[in-house]
Amino acid sequence: MPTSAPPPSNYPTRSEDLIGRINSVHTPYEAKLKALRELKNQIIGNRTKKLAFLKLGAVPSVISILSSAVAENGGGSNLEFNEPVIIQSAAVIGSFACGLDAGVKAVLDAGAFPLLFGLISHPNEKVVDAGARSLKMIYQSKLAPKYDFLLEENMDFLLSLLNSKNENVTGLGGSIITHSCNTSMEQEKLSEAGVIKMLISLLGGSLIQRDASLESLGAIIKENPGVISKFMRPENGRALNVVTELIKDRYPRTRLLACMCLILIRNTSTCYLQDAGIKTKLILILLELIDDPGQVGDEAPFALSSLIAEKEDMQKIAFDSNIVDKLCNHLEKGSFQAKRLQGIFLALADLCSKLECCRDRFLSLKAFNILTDVLTHDSPEVRAAACICLKNISRSVKNLSAGHFMNEAVIIPLVQLLHDTCTSVQIAALGAISNIVVDFTAHKSKFIHCGGVKQLVQLAKSMDSTIRVNAVWALKNLMFLVNSTCKEEIFLELSPSMLISLVCDPETSVQEQALALVRNLIDGSIDSVEYVFAEDGLLLNAIGRQLQSASKVEVLIQGMYVLSNVASGNEFHKEAVMNQLFPQAGSDTQTILIKFLQSTDSRLRTASVWALVNLTLTNSPDANARVMKLQSAGIVCQLKNMVNDPCQDVKLRARMALGQSGEHIRTWDAFIKVSIFSLLLVEMEIVKFAFIFSVSSMYQFPFFVSCPVPWLQHVVVGD
Amino acid sequence: MSYLLNQLNAIRHLAEIEAMATSKKVITREEWEKRLNDVKVRKEDMNKLVMNFLVTEGYVEAAEKFRLESGTEPDIDLATITDRMAVKKAVQCGNLEDAIEKVNDLNPEILDTNPQLFFHLQQQRLIELIRNGKVEEALEFAQEELAPRGEENQSFLEELERTVALLAFEDVTNCPVGELLDISQRLKTASEVNAAILTSQSHEKDPKLPSLLKMLIWAQNQLDEKAAYPRINDLSTGALEDPAV
Repeated sequence: MPTSAPPPSNYPTRSEDLIGRINSVHTPYEAKLKALRELKNQIIGNRTKKLAFLKLGAVPSVISILSSAVAENGGGSNLEFNEPVIIQSAAVIGSFACGLDAGVKAVLDAGAFPLLFGLISHPNEKVVDAGARSLKMIYQSKLAPKYDFLLEENMDFLLSLLNSKNENVTGLGGSIITHSCNTSMEQEKLSEAGVIKMLISLLGGSLIQRDASLESLGAIIKENPGVISKFMRPENGRALNVVTELIKDRYPRTRLLACMCLILIRNTSTCYLQDAGIKTKLILILLELIDDPGQVGDEAPFALSSLIAEKEDMQKIAFDSNIVDKLCNHLEKGSFQAKRLQGIFLALADLCSKLECCRDRFLSLKAFNILTDVLTHDSPEVRAAACICLKNISRSVKNLSAGHFMNEAVIIPLVQLLHDTCTSVQIAALGAISNIVVDFTAHKSKFIHCGGVKQLVQLAKSMDSTIRVNAVWALKNLMFLVNSTCKEEIFLELSPSMLISLVCDPETSVQEQALALVRNLIDGSIDSVEYVFAEDGLLLNAIGRQLQSASKVEVLIQGMYVLSNVASGNEFHKEAVMNQLFPQAGSDTQTILIKFLQSTDSRLRTASVWALVNLTLTNSPDANARVMKLQSAGIVCQLKNMVNDPCQDVKLRARMALGQSGEHIRTWDAFIKVSIFSLLLVEMEIVKFAFIFSVSSMYQFPFFVSCPVPWLQHVVVGD
Repeated sequence: MSYLLNQLNAIRHLAEIEAMATSKKVITREEWEKRLNDVKVRKEDMNKLVMNFLVTEGYVEAAEKFRLESGTEPDIDLATITDRMAVKKAVQCGNLEDAIEKVNDLNPEILDTNPQLFFHLQQQRLIELIRNGKVEEALEFAQEELAPRGEENQSFLEELERTVALLAFEDVTNCPVGELLDISQRLKTASEVNAAILTSQSHEKDPKLPSLLKMLIWAQNQLDEKAAYPRINDLSTGALEDPAV
């Protein structure tokens, strides 16, 4: 064996020569074995070479050698080399399939699967090892075909794998389960066949068996409370305790897999693992695992994220364990694989999704600058994770009003990301922008001036409805309390015809956001109301049509708020609203307004009563005529039924509308007016509307009737 | 061997008693030895510890002899130790290509799923080329084999740059990255590959004995705050030294 062979000086020729030797029928068997081994040593650990040899067609050649060696096995003239050739070719096939989807595809296309499965029952243990290892590699790829557990012979074969004494073979059994067990039916089938019991006994086996068992246990119990309760049964002994012990194991991979198993159990069945001790332990162990330089460190933040996502109690415990600082320290160390960076930002995003203390802490650390830096990272997954993180931090009303995010370091890369080639990045960026543009200070023009609006409007025309809804959402929030110059600019960019088509979008979620956008557009000065009469009133007509025909209550709510805001305008505006609400004057058909007032959804009742309050304001000359019309349509009668509405909001506004309609419920003097208004104000503060009113406008009469909507994005859209 | 376990057990015992005491207690040698004698350690357990050490450190012949003499079964096929030691030796001698081929024969998964180890072996191979003055070969090897790994991983790239820097110095022994040429670098790589092979064989990568010694030192340090007792200071003999009173 050469100890220091010269490296390839003319590498392509050498590769081709090697493939030539493997392909040629003239190559003696012994030389073929040598060539196979050389190929194996060239490609192991070397992605570049794997790709190069794939191009040269190495995979089909090697598989045909394996195929004829298997056929000759036990006979033929090359007995001495037969099994070594099988072992080497199986190893080569496994290496091509290792960590390279193109390799897996080539291996599967060339028909290696049945050949490799055949090796599992070979008498030579080394051949079995080689076959099992290669199959394991293939099963680690998403491209591997799904193993059908519902077929009886397949289940029998799987059980025989798990029962094997050879740990590579039991490991293969585990990989098959991890790869192919996805539905609850499959989980139950495996559990009925006694697989859980076998896996629990493998937990006591070797390192490889333990890890394989933990991973497949995870696949079997995931989101399946029934199977979890089976796992917990007393006949399984102290299975949970065994797994809990393993989170302290000496091997990082074992610790990680055991943690993931426990997380799956507690995320599915909330009755287990609820004591504070185990919660803290899981968090600390996962934090420590992020230090691992290899794959474990890449996967640990994802496990951490699944542990804390959507669970405020866990986030609090994590915060108390100083997690924000620790994660940020990792970021500051730098030079990570993209996967780890993505995981850390996702975990930070989860932490900042609810707790203000986490957001404050993160903002106070240097690592926040890293967040803005990675908005331009090479990997789309990292860019998307950074956007999601930014979105969650900017849910903080306090930090938004402090103007922490409306600066060029954040906005310019974010607007760039709207052009991203990757849809998930665009959606994540839209989410972050939606929140940041709410910005309560006067920074909105910055966003407009760096081309943000143009691009948002482009994306609002996207064919992808998720992008469309998020783009309109962002525009709506940008429109929230914006000054009139900016409003004009945004409106021109949008164009009335586009607004109309968004209001009539086939997706109801887009309709809802588009109506809310109009609601914010016409909020503010009376001049703003004029926008809704654009295109000869076509926009208002489109909104009226949606109110007549839409069935989704959220669409109706926004539609009614638009009408409320229009009704806060002058006489002409109020009349236009009446025309939308009572399109066929004098007809017998029940007006939609009655339907809305009787809705079981209090939000729709509130919006509708609000419109009535604005329509009946007593300081306008034609109010009486409108009240008459409302009376004859049965609206006043309906309002009387609502003076004791279970919803406080509806109750107060219904009484107000009635009072304005001349129906005396109580002494309607100025004192009471003021007290009701102050009550309303208190309420509004609770629903976070109060901050939109400036103190100076406090006592102007219709000040509260126009209500814009800032909605911070609280859901991770599109993931 | 047994002194170690006995001492540990005695310390634990004492620590339990002493947990409530406020002032330092003095324990005479006689008293201590009596305590030590009370602690029973099973012979089989000690044999297992010895076997674990021999197997993990790769002393095949000693392990074989010890198996015959003590009847302790090793928890691993002794033949695999021979293969592992051959790999380790190849790295220690600077025959990296040979070492890589041997690891791949042993288990092709090891280097395919452990990019860091694979990189370190390739890096060591580059170091050997530089050591032997094969500048052109070294450059070509770095370009073809190592540079693509550096593209995949930032920290590999930094290590690669450091290694290639060796070529820039006339007198490598006195350059800032000179330690790469040190024999200790080979030993580091060898022990990394040794650990990876052991893990792939489901075997602990470190022997248990050294951690037991660490535990002894830790326990003695803890106890020092509470009591004066016969201490083991010389770990090679395990002799008890009288407490300074």
